[in-house]
Amino acid sequence: MMRGPNRSNLGASPPRILVVDDEPQIRKFIDISLRSQGYATLLAGTGQEGLTLLATKGADLIVLDLGLPDKDGREVLKELRQWSRVPVIVLTVRSGEEEKVVLLDAGANDYVTKPFGVDELMARIRAFLRTMESSPDEGPVFDDGVLKIDLMQREVTVQGQVVALSRKEFALLSLLVRQPGRLVTQTQILREMWGPTHEEDAHYLRILVAKLRHKLGDNASAPRYIATEPGVGLRFIAKERHTA
Amino acid sequence: MGAERTEQADALLGELKRQTAGRLTVFLGAAPGVGKTYAMLARARELHRQGVDIVIGIVETHGRSETQTMAEGLPLLPRKQMGYQGRQLEEMDLDGLLARKPAIALVDELAHRNAPGSRHERRWQDVEELLDAGIDVYTTVNIQHLESLNDVVHQITGIRVSETVPDALFDRLRDIRLVDLPARELIERLNHGKVYLPEQAAQALQAFFSPSNLTALRELAIQTVAEHVDTDLRETRAARGMEGISIQRHVLIAIDGRGQSEYLVRAGAKIAERRGAPWSVVTVETGRSADAALHTDTLNQVASSLNKATHIEQQRLIEIDKAFSLARNLGGETEVLHNTDVTQALLDAAETRGARAIVIGRTREHPIARIFNRTLTQQLLQRCGRYELTIVNTPQARLHARRLSALAGRQLTGREPLLILLVSLGSVGTAALAEHLLGLQDLSMVFLVAVLLVASRASMASAVITAALSFLAYNFFFIEPRYTFYISAQHGVVTVVLFLAAALIAGRLASRLRMQVVALRAANSYTTAMQNLGRKLAKAADLGQVIAAGSSVLQSTLHAKTWIRINGETGPSTAANDLTEKDLVAANWTQQHGQTSGRYTDTLTNSSWWFLPVRSDKDTLGVVGLRFPSGMGRLSFEQRRLAESMVEDIGQAALRTRLVSELEEARVTGETERLRSALLSSVSHDLRSPLSSMIGAADSLARYSADMGPEDQQSLLETIHVEGERLDRYIQNLLDMTRLGQQGLTLTRDWIGIDELVGSASRRLQRYEPNVRIQHDISPDLPPIHVHPALIEQALFNVMENAAKFSPPEVPVLVQIRQIEGNKLRIDISDRGPGIPEDERRRIFDMFYSVERGDRGKQGTGLGLTIVQGIVGAHMGSVEALPGLEGKGTTIRLTLPWGGYANQEMKEHDERSQ
Repeated sequence: MMRGPNRSNLGASPPRILVVDDEPQIRKFIDISLRSQGYATLLAGTGQEGLTLLATKGADLIVLDLGLPDKDGREVLKELRQWSRVPVIVLTVRSGEEEKVVLLDAGANDYVTKPFGVDELMARIRAFLRTMESSPDEGPVFDDGVLKIDLMQREVTVQGQVVALSRKEFALLSLLVRQPGRLVTQTQILREMWGPTHEEDAHYLRILVAKLRHKLGDNASAPRYIATEPGVGLRFIAKERHTA
Repeated sequence: MGAERTEQADALLGELKRQTAGRLTVFLGAAPGVGKTYAMLARARELHRQGVDIVIGIVETHGRSETQTMAEGLPLLPRKQMGYQGRQLEEMDLDGLLARKPAIALVDELAHRNAPGSRHERRWQDVEELLDAGIDVYTTVNIQHLESLNDVVHQITGIRVSETVPDALFDRLRDIRLVDLPARELIERLNHGKVYLPEQAAQALQAFFSPSNLTALRELAIQTVAEHVDTDLRETRAARGMEGISIQRHVLIAIDGRGQSEYLVRAGAKIAERRGAPWSVVTVETGRSADAALHTDTLNQVASSLNKATHIEQQRLIEIDKAFSLARNLGGETEVLHNTDVTQALLDAAETRGARAIVIGRTREHPIARIFNRTLTQQLLQRCGRYELTIVNTPQARLHARRLSALAGRQLTGREPLLILLVSLGSVGTAALAEHLLGLQDLSMVFLVAVLLVASRASMASAVITAALSFLAYNFFFIEPRYTFYISAQHGVVTVVLFLAAALIAGRLASRLRMQVVALRAANSYTTAMQNLGRKLAKAADLGQVIAAGSSVLQSTLHAKTWIRINGETGPSTAANDLTEKDLVAANWTQQHGQTSGRYTDTLTNSSWWFLPVRSDKDTLGVVGLRFPSGMGRLSFEQRRLAESMVEDIGQAALRTRLVSELEEARVTGETERLRSALLSSVSHDLRSPLSSMIGAADSLARYSADMGPEDQQSLLETIHVEGERLDRYIQNLLDMTRLGQQGLTLTRDWIGIDELVGSASRRLQRYEPNVRIQHDISPDLPPIHVHPALIEQALFNVMENAAKFSPPEVPVLVQIRQIEGNKLRIDISDRGPGIPEDERRRIFDMFYSVERGDRGKQGTGLGLTIVQGIVGAHMGSVEALPGLEGKGTTIRLTLPWGGYANQEMKEHDERSQ
């Protein structure tokens, strides 16, 4: 099983995850699941408690519920973003994309909509912790046996056949692949690839993604590599790495 | 203000356009042969002589020598030769003319159809191009070629003219000149062969030239010119910022109801129609007639006042009514003016309507009045200044009526002779008593006072009679030689004159004053009635109340049985029985056509009701039926006007309530919508939270149980169980809510101890939340209450659950129950939580409140308190949120009337069993 944090690295302490949720039952099952996978957990029932724990004990990642009794999750997010860059995964019952965009803009790194499968949450958590531990300079970044992406060589092959990507297509692909499993917002992508003046030009991206998918043999309706979060952004689906 | 500005701006723009583009001068004739071309050429020659650059584009002389002569000497543009199907046709050389660019071009026959192959199909299009090029054009056209008059011409002559000129072209008019020729002369010209007619059409056109056709066409032409002159004037004046005046102005028709009023209305209407002017018919009520009119308002007086004067007065009013309804049918407005000064009233009315002409009938011309320039006609002539006065001589019938009414005016009514007698005797007595105190000259003053007294109280005639009697008495009893009627010139003549003068002056003053008072009273009673109605209608909140208020006021004001139907709602119920089948037919007709029907109208007159439509801006809302006593033969104008105004107000009120109810409906819909979305988000929040826990826990177990210790596994299983129960509770809440919301909650009351309910709720709560501590403080010996046990238990549970949620750990929730005054049970459930700000306390029971807070709210707060309120409300109790004990936390107080209701039943039960 390669699911948990790197257990072989026994010298380092396990990643610490702060769970802020007012629902004791949710807190409980997240806690149990995280611990079972070798993470250390910190639990808080209110926003203030969460902020205090983060400030005093520190955490590698925060799972933050938006519905807190003392203050709105967004306020907590805003407050902690003033002094911490720790990744935040937001738990929300809201499912409107505007809300998600607002959250992501406010500093959240990703979100999970309630009710959720614990696996989904774990995958998101892993996506963040993994990027932190892996260096972007590593060899072939992605290889699932069909698609192989070598960022160093700027080479992409599908079933051994080299795929000719345009500069922009490659830039987009590498942007996504560097953060596997993580949501990259439309605004981020546009800003990074076309500059801040084009943040609103979503259609550039739509066309580019369509081309890229086509070249990779991917399918928008049943994506294997690039998944669209409608109205929010794109996510490179992080199948477990087939490290050679 | 704004509109005026725009108008002025438009006018200026129009003016500007006129100045740059070419302008059109039209020589308009009623028929071919009136000499349009000749007139145009004559004008052109004159201009040419003055050095104006003028060119004949095309002129058809039809070989007439006079016309030919006129054209000679004017610059002529050669015509263009065009071949068409082997024939040579000549047309105006448009391009040549454009290139030549004269100041003025003469283009005959505006309606002409160009030969095939020309640039434009029609000559007026050529003219348009010339005008656009900045060339002024002189042209001729016959009235029947005007597009807008096509139908009229067809009606008049039976000939459909196919070559028409759009009226829009006339917008570019500089000038329109009417070339006029009386029909007789034209026909003469025709017979002398001076009118050119195309041979093939000659036969048909012969019929066209009938005297009647020509007269009608001539009138059309004159009207058209007048219209354009009028528009022109208005525009120029507007462009200069002057007050827009119109040549075509209102025609005011004055009637007095003394014979031939209808004749006058017809005559006046015709005058107005001829001018295309709006018109109205007015009558002036000086006090006396208004007095009579007022009296007829009340039935009793109608029945009793059968003397001749009122009879004639009634005849007069009936005549005015008829004339008014005729006027309304013919499209005129009607109004009754109240003023003692007829002339002034008419002039005022003319002024406010912007009337140009006043139409009156020949008035009663008292020879004396004529001498003093006091007749209405003379007065109007003197004072009307800028109005045009039309006096219509009406036939003989008028004289008769006048004489009757004149007679009636002089008749002494009722108690007047008695008054005269008493006053005269009184003055004689007073004078006799005072004789030895006063001189002879002073004695006459006693009689003068008597005359003044009568003059101020009674009619002028009485005053004159009193004056005569007083003089005779004075002469007989006091002037030497006494007891003879001998008058020495010295005393007598002066006294007679004095008495008469006093009588006349005082009488006139008094009667005028009385008339004014009566007129005022008439106006006042109208205003009072309308205000009364307005007040009542303002209070009416819905249509039913509007109908009730409206019918009661109508009934009491008009003394008529009233029935109202608006939007299908009818009232009052007592009236409905009096409506027969045929009355309903009339009512429906009125509803359908928006016009009055039934009695006092021309439609469905066999109904004993008078039906008036209740109108809104767009449609007919309903019908008001009025049934006056059967003895009442006619409606006075005042009654009619009052009824119509009142019905109008009722309509407005009905419309208002309709709007209000529509608004209310929209509000309710909005609220339902809000509730729906609140419920949805509540479901999404309250149901998803336990679901999230359950799914998450189950998923954790499924995936990672191998990595967990048994305790953790057990704990996750517990989570699933507890959250499942929580979910069940929420669903129960939702169901309760639905039941409460739909008023479908039926209480199955039973006797139960409140402590039992509290105990049950506490146990249930502790099962879900084992850590919650609950402290009970219940007065001993509380009698059982009569409630729906399960519901009250649920309410207690919800409040306690809520309190537990906000209580800090280990701090108990306090439940305190007391019996209070008014035989009520007070249940206080307090927590030591953060408390609720005062302004939000009331809102926590609001379904929207907690739900709208969405994610932010503490879990489970969604509907709980709302449900509590619903349950307690159903038991006639109340819920309120108060500050907690010692100022900390919150106390939710339930007050249940356990006595009143229950004891009542028990008492009844007891009584029955006794």
